[in-house]
Amino acid sequence: MKSLTITHLQKTYFDPFAARQVTAIRDISLTVEAGDFVSVVGPSGCGKTTMLNLIAGFLPPTGGEIRVDGRAVSGPGPDRGVVFQSFALFPWRTVLDNVAFGPKMRGVPKARRHEIAQEYLALAGLAHAAERYPNELSGGMQQRVGVVRALANEPDVLLMDEPFASVDAQTRMTLQEELTRIWAQRRSTVLFITHDVNEAVFLSNRVVVLSHGSVLDDIAIDLPRPRSWDALIEDAAFKTLAARVLQQVRAA
Amino acid sequence: MSAAVAISPWQRLWGAYVRGSARHPALASLVPFVPVIVLWAAVARSGIFPPVFFPGPVEVLRKFDTLMANGILPAYLEDSVVRLAAGTATGLALGIPLGLLIGMSDRAHRALWPALLFFQAIGDIAWLPILLIWFGFGLTTMIFVIVYTVLFPVVLNTVLGVRSVPLELHRAALSLGASKARVVWEVVLPGALPNIMTGLRNGLGFGWRALIAAEIIVGTSGIGFLMFDARRAGSVVEIMLGMIVLGVLWYIVDGWVLAPIERATGERWGLVTR
Repeated sequence: MKSLTITHLQKTYFDPFAARQVTAIRDISLTVEAGDFVSVVGPSGCGKTTMLNLIAGFLPPTGGEIRVDGRAVSGPGPDRGVVFQSFALFPWRTVLDNVAFGPKMRGVPKARRHEIAQEYLALAGLAHAAERYPNELSGGMQQRVGVVRALANEPDVLLMDEPFASVDAQTRMTLQEELTRIWAQRRSTVLFITHDVNEAVFLSNRVVVLSHGSVLDDIAIDLPRPRSWDALIEDAAFKTLAARVLQQVRAA
Repeated sequence: MSAAVAISPWQRLWGAYVRGSARHPALASLVPFVPVIVLWAAVARSGIFPPVFFPGPVEVLRKFDTLMANGILPAYLEDSVVRLAAGTATGLALGIPLGLLIGMSDRAHRALWPALLFFQAIGDIAWLPILLIWFGFGLTTMIFVIVYTVLFPVVLNTVLGVRSVPLELHRAALSLGASKARVVWEVVLPGALPNIMTGLRNGLGFGWRALIAAEIIVGTSGIGFLMFDARRAGSVVEIMLGMIVLGVLWYIVDGWVLAPIERATGERWGLVTR
């Protein structure tokens, strides 16, 4: 796992209907150290999803630079794995073949890439679902596959765009706990976008608050790990941190 | 409540049919035709129309036997099916790449779409007069008509399919390391497949009709020719036989070719609901 460095990132759009330039990202500089877990929170329209799309290479920035492990990047690439809010699993591929997709693109032979996929599926307790199609799974299970598919390609950085926003509340808590467990095992470098303050504090080492396309605050989360909702939901330190982040988001 | 509500004989019969057709799917495709055939036989038997004008199922079946025995029906059937298959395969080979191009490239869409709509309006048979002058009464003319007929529904539906693939799937494939060319094969084509199947289904349906029309006009062999030739001889039995063959053949194409592909793809993937 490698570091992610963003310097003076900018993005403006031309809005043909309003006939003016719209600033989505004013100026963002941010470093995610190798093996760190950083969340980005902020109100709708603060530019957090645009920021992820820029880092992933789905949109070209109008200014600034993105470096993964010191290399400048442009355009999408397997060094930055992405987990989407809409899961974005390939409906025509089985769970196993979805997870094996990244290795397949790298030219890993079939037997080996299925082995890799099986290992990663087992990591998320999905070994039994390998031969099923995505539409046969619940939302929670589909997103487990989405996370595992990104991990199985061994990216330098994992980008997660509100991945748990469209699953039910109970499943979401389980997925958050599973993610912290997997992260602790693999020490991935993660940039996690969310609008859920509790989620950000629960998962992260750092929470960055975005406002109008700039960084408003950068808060260290020094809660002990491993973390579980049973332990943290009534924890004073957790509540204080969450309250502080929430205050900043509301001020944003 | 222990008092069972009485089951009527009709419900008993319906239940037996549902269970039976679940066990033997062939029943479900044959039984619905029983009332039609019974009605047909009854009208033919009643003598309302002279038998030469309105023959019954038995006469048609006998004619079927004769034409099978002397080899005319198998030969004509082969001619028609080969023409349809060749025309459809060519139509797909041209239509799918063209649809992918137009669906993915804004420039290709701007350049080709208006012409496509223009030529779509000139229906298959409207081409026959000029084709007969250019290519004469032969296979080329008939294949051209079928290709032309199959092409448009395939192209239009492929474009629709390409555009219906969610942007996120393109992005997912790219960030998993797929090249742009690979994305076409791994994402665009399978994503558009349910629509391509719809295009094929429509194209085959129109193509089948266009073929019969072309065979009637071009008139050298085939099921369309058989029917039109029978008219000249005043043989209603043969005309009816031709009509039934058309229906049965479509039923077979649907049941043995189209439906299984649809079950194995779009329906299996949850992209289309039945």
